[in-house]
Amino acid sequence: MDSWFASIAQMDRTFVYVFQGILRYFVPALAAFILLRTVRPLLTFRREPEIWAWLCLTNGKMLPLTHWENMVGRSKRSDVVIDVPTISRTHAVLTRYDDGSWTIADAGSKSGVFVNGEKIDICALEPEDIITIGGIPMKLKPRSREQEITLSQLRTKAANPVVSVMNTLLLTALQMLICFSYLMTAKVEVAGSIFAGFAGIVVCQWLLLGFYLFIRKPSFELETIVFFLCTLGMAAISAVKPGETVKQLIAMVMGLGLFLSLGWILRDLERVKKLRYYAAAAGILLLIITLVFGKEYHGAKNWLIIGSLSIQPSELSKVCFVFIGAATMDQIVNKKNLILFIGYTLAICACLAVMNDFGTALIFFVAFLLIAYLRSGSVGTIALACTSLGFAGVIALKIAPHALRRFTSWRHIWEDPLNTGYQQTRSLMCIASGGLLGLGAGNGFMKNVFAGDSDVVFATLSEEWGLLICLMMVACIIVFGLFSVRTAAMGRSSFYTIGSCTAAGILLVQTMFNVLGTLDVLPLTGVTLPFVSNGGSSMICAWGLMAFVKAADTRQDASFAVRQSQEGRPEDE
Amino acid sequence: MNKIMGRARILLILILVLALGTSFFVGEYFIKSGDWILFAGSPHIYNAANIGCGTITDRDGMLLLDMTDGRTYAENVQLRSAIIHWLGDRQGNISAPALSHYAEAIAGFDKINGLYAYGGTGGTVTTTFSAKVQMAALEAMGDYTGTVAVYNYKTGELICAVSTPNFDPDNVPEIAGVPEFEGVYLNRFTQSTYTPGSIFKIVTAAAALETIPDILDRTYTCSGLLEFGEDRVTCERAHGTLTFKEAFARSCNCAFARIANQVGGDVLQRYAQQFKITEAVEFDGIKTAAGSLSAAGEMPVNVAWSGIGQHEDLVNPCRYLAFLGAIANDGVEITPHFVDKITVGGKITYQASDESAGRIMSSHTAQILQEFLRNNVENYYGDDSFPGLKVCAKSGTAEVGGDKKPNAMFTGFVADENLPLAFIVAVEDGGYGRQVCTPIIAKILEACKAELLE
Repeated sequence: MDSWFASIAQMDRTFVYVFQGILRYFVPALAAFILLRTVRPLLTFRREPEIWAWLCLTNGKMLPLTHWENMVGRSKRSDVVIDVPTISRTHAVLTRYDDGSWTIADAGSKSGVFVNGEKIDICALEPEDIITIGGIPMKLKPRSREQEITLSQLRTKAANPVVSVMNTLLLTALQMLICFSYLMTAKVEVAGSIFAGFAGIVVCQWLLLGFYLFIRKPSFELETIVFFLCTLGMAAISAVKPGETVKQLIAMVMGLGLFLSLGWILRDLERVKKLRYYAAAAGILLLIITLVFGKEYHGAKNWLIIGSLSIQPSELSKVCFVFIGAATMDQIVNKKNLILFIGYTLAICACLAVMNDFGTALIFFVAFLLIAYLRSGSVGTIALACTSLGFAGVIALKIAPHALRRFTSWRHIWEDPLNTGYQQTRSLMCIASGGLLGLGAGNGFMKNVFAGDSDVVFATLSEEWGLLICLMMVACIIVFGLFSVRTAAMGRSSFYTIGSCTAAGILLVQTMFNVLGTLDVLPLTGVTLPFVSNGGSSMICAWGLMAFVKAADTRQDASFAVRQSQEGRPEDE
Repeated sequence: MNKIMGRARILLILILVLALGTSFFVGEYFIKSGDWILFAGSPHIYNAANIGCGTITDRDGMLLLDMTDGRTYAENVQLRSAIIHWLGDRQGNISAPALSHYAEAIAGFDKINGLYAYGGTGGTVTTTFSAKVQMAALEAMGDYTGTVAVYNYKTGELICAVSTPNFDPDNVPEIAGVPEFEGVYLNRFTQSTYTPGSIFKIVTAAAALETIPDILDRTYTCSGLLEFGEDRVTCERAHGTLTFKEAFARSCNCAFARIANQVGGDVLQRYAQQFKITEAVEFDGIKTAAGSLSAAGEMPVNVAWSGIGQHEDLVNPCRYLAFLGAIANDGVEITPHFVDKITVGGKITYQASDESAGRIMSSHTAQILQEFLRNNVENYYGDDSFPGLKVCAKSGTAEVGGDKKPNAMFTGFVADENLPLAFIVAVEDGGYGRQVCTPIIAKILEACKAELLE
């Protein structure tokens, strides 16, 4: 192996230059091709609802219930619209449980909900029960096993295994080319490490795809994009700290572990409800442990050192936070729940304030805003929260002057290019040096700039691989966001929709702060770029968040985190 | 669920912010990346204060300087010393404004490819200098302090331009406080001004030819002394009665004192301006020192001294070389340059043009001056110093006062279509102009001939 690396590193320079000359066109082209193939199905799939039951009216009309949580009412925005004056705008909620049973609950109607003639607040429904709302009698008819199979066969399959294998093959080719070009320019001592990093990604992606094909959930688009981002991250590490590729690979494997286990947990909403309290405890405990045992590093006390491992528990808290913030419909209706959540958020913010971790606090805040809006729909609440953040921000800047410095150099980086503006001026100069197509592997200067593999990784990649690749990288994260919005329409439970949107929102916000910070469009906050920045905790967190996106993907046979038809009944387990 | 589905669109705000922010940057990239790349400290372009990418060669492709990785100069020690005032040293004591001027072209920046060039970054600058002639010039200058330069008056190409003293950038001597190294950081060709002495009589003669219609028929009687009240202008000996042409050839101070006053201080000043003698030359990002003349509104004696290149006259060697070039080129001045072209990875990013400063005198006047200058060499200085060359020239011995010997000056050109070269030599503290300078320029012209014709 070593002699092989040595022979690559000593290759004829003419060959290396020609190879690099071709690769600078080929890599963006291949990446664009892979992304087009994977992004298109994610953004253009037909939103075919799943039908879980029918509400049968006495006139023979059957109204399909397409979610696990269905609002019945007169309002056009109800899931089941019955436009009769005696029915309130939001009258009742019909909820399906994992075991296939249903309940009905009064959602604050004027005239009440009656089951078999009895006025109820909440009631489990038995077959043949007669529900009366607004004087209209109806029956709930859950789908039968046969109907379930027929319905699932009618839905479009999310992906074709051949296409997924093809995409992964193309991605593997890209990974090999990038790896090879780093091996040609890197020192022989680190060649093994670089090779292991890229090879590790390749092995992981094929194992995951193999698993998916085995369980017949062949949709691999999101994963292909994530592995593409991981590859870029590995490229940046190969350029900046080639000795740390294996460390990052281990983090990626741990992230995959979290992704799979969290995805499995999310399959069962009842299980989720039980686990939420543990998640809440874990989320805050992680922060408290950091507060007590943490190490201060570059002004923020957010590092936990265990042996040779250094982890940032606040990253993992983000996953817990999404877990807690996402809520099912019955919890949304319950105001006490929201107050508890606000209290919880405040506690987290307090911890982060003490840690002086400005960037993470901002991300938690945006996540909170997203959750608050998705749950309440109230623009007023959001406005109020933003205003209070404004006040808090002013006070924080008074207390923590190092944060203020970031703001004073913002959009003035060229006035102090060797001090406060150093990272960003180097970034812009290096991005310009790389142009749209890059200078080639190992030819960059950004490796000499502090945090070239994390805070300003965008510039490192742009310099070596070109601005086009980096724009694609941003586009990937945007795709996660758009996909979450699209899948919201066929969400089973508000829990999944809120979870997926919040997770995608966190990825978007981190990308925003990281990339736009590097580019001096926003102040530099030192937030990591999901999947790309060197940093284990950030990598694990990003995979954890992806589990939520995956759990909301209810396309037929798309996601291991969604239980479906043939395999779909609890009695199968 | 339907409501939540609607609310999910809030994510579009975040997406929009990210997309707009990124687009904003892309816009900035296309507008400003050219400035970013050239900002001081740009890592692929600069190395400390100096440009840090690209290579520089002479006109034949011989390496003069590789600017990557801490600068590698030419192999030959003579060449390293001879060229240093154009390329700068590692410490930045000698600045090389031309290289920074062409930083963008050397870097080969474009918005698509950035700084990418096959096999690395940075281009190749081909200069018009000849390494051989440059070394010959250094050798010819010996221990003298001063400058010598040769340029092609038809194309503007500088063939050589040496400033002495200089030093080997690979082996920097102790400079501070050492008298021989006084002013070593100065490129005397571009940055100094000299009292011209008799070579300024070319200006006075040109002004006389343009303003006094019968000047060629006039005669001047020199008794070795011309009095202006209490002041006097003297010659080394009495020249007797001379025609204008003879007075020019024998560099008669008394005759030119009269001629200067016949032209008049104001007119002489105006012509000096027309000939751009008092203007800086700008080329390749370099702006030379500007000469000066104060003849306008002066007393006759001062006008007299001005007309013979003393008084407060100062000329910049580069400017005066270009002036001589204009005479040789029938009155049209071609601005000198030394950067011929810059290529980056096979693509030409800069190509010098034969930039003309325009006509500064009538071709009639230029042709008479050509004849006069030819006459000087043919009948007075002797052609045997320049075997096989038709040299036209004027020498000068400029008194600088103090206990220093005069500045020896010599300027002219070769009247040859195939070897259209103008030259100037200035030797500080040198002595008699023709005596000091003729051997220097003879050696250099010989080298030029060998380089350009053979």
